[in-house]
Amino acid sequence: MHELSMVKAVIDALDDLYEANEWSAIKSVTLRVGAMRQVIPHILTFAFTASIKGTNLEGAELVIIPVPIEFLCRSCGGRWGESDLGYLCPHCGSKDVDMLQGMEMDIDSLEVEE
Amino acid sequence: MAVRKIDIQQAVMAADMSYAKKIRDKLAEKGILMINLIGSPGSGKTTLLENTLGKDGLRSAVIEGDVATDRDAVRIDALGIPSIQINTEGGCHLEANWVDMTLEKLPLEDLDVIYIENVGNLVCPAEFDVGEDHKVAISSVPEGPDKPLKYPLLFTEASAVVLTKTDLSPYVSFDDDLFWSDVAKLNPKASTLRISCYRKEGLDEWSSLVRSWLEEKRRG
Ligand SMILES: Nc1nc2c(ncn2[C@@H]2O[C@H](COP(=O)(O)OP(=O)(O)OP(=O)(O)O)[C@@H](O)[C@H]2O)c(=O)[nH]1
Ligand SMILES: [Mg+2]
Ligand SMILES: [Zn+2]
Ligand SMILES: [Zn+2]
Repeated sequence: MHELSMVKAVIDALDDLYEANEWSAIKSVTLRVGAMRQVIPHILTFAFTASIKGTNLEGAELVIIPVPIEFLCRSCGGRWGESDLGYLCPHCGSKDVDMLQGMEMDIDSLEVEE
Repeated sequence: MAVRKIDIQQAVMAADMSYAKKIRDKLAEKGILMINLIGSPGSGKTTLLENTLGKDGLRSAVIEGDVATDRDAVRIDALGIPSIQINTEGGCHLEANWVDMTLEKLPLEDLDVIYIENVGNLVCPAEFDVGEDHKVAISSVPEGPDKPLKYPLLFTEASAVVLTKTDLSPYVSFDDDLFWSDVAKLNPKASTLRISCYRKEGLDEWSSLVRSWLEEKRRG
């Protein structure tokens, strides 16, 4: 149920922006969600729809941009994703590995009515 | 009425991240190590604390996160160790703003280590930064060896993976090699420990790890 906490955080963050601007309505909210976050999209959408009633986001649509996992090996330059999940390079066995993407949990953009 | 697209690019958890930073700054100033213990309900988190706190020569305190009851805090109190219970009342993880409020109630001048025993859950607690120095994944033998691959976020984020209740291995035919090879793929730099609180095995290794983290932090 971390989806519910995430939705509450989105509502709180956008409340502040809404108060600071002269928008008449927020039409849509776009989130970028990394696959590592273990978020289930339909639960996130369900939590969003249930939680925005009576808030400044009432009526807004949720758009989720999924971001796949990508690792980079600093030793051999190899790249891989979910199929070899982890910080061990499947090409050369190096542990000198970075996660390039997959941990995103960001508010990307909004569509607002002015 | 015109519809306009506005670029935001802000972390969803930005508010919580600022609490986590506040906690980190405060604990860095005091030289206190904070360890976030994460594992399934009943994986042996409180038992591990009971078997090590007060015996490791360090001054510790515990923040207990549970959905309900103060039973774990009572168990820690019985050892003469300061403990504070947070009840999440349904919430499946602790968040930094609660931990921040709780810190005020601890004797920070007289502590080396603060342990957070997070709500028993392998998903949500891994997601929320509470200002800790290290996350520790606690997985017990009876849960089976497939937990690392099923809950990869926790096992990749953890500084240490602790396998508990190793005394039960023969009774549940636990596949040790599978468990540890998955951990090695997900997180090859993690410290790894096998602990049985019943047989008192692995406890010194755990205390040494905590001590080395504390020394590392105080060295800066
Ligand atoms: N056989 C065996 N049992 C253990 C060991 N450590 C803990 N247990 C038992 O496992 C059960 C749960 O232990 P707890 O320490 O309460 O587990 P927990 O993770 O704190 O549980 P929650 O806080 O409720 O999530 C208890 O019955 C313990 O006695 C161990 O090393 N071996
Ligand atoms: Mg407990
Ligand atoms: Zn949850
Ligand atoms: Zn490589």
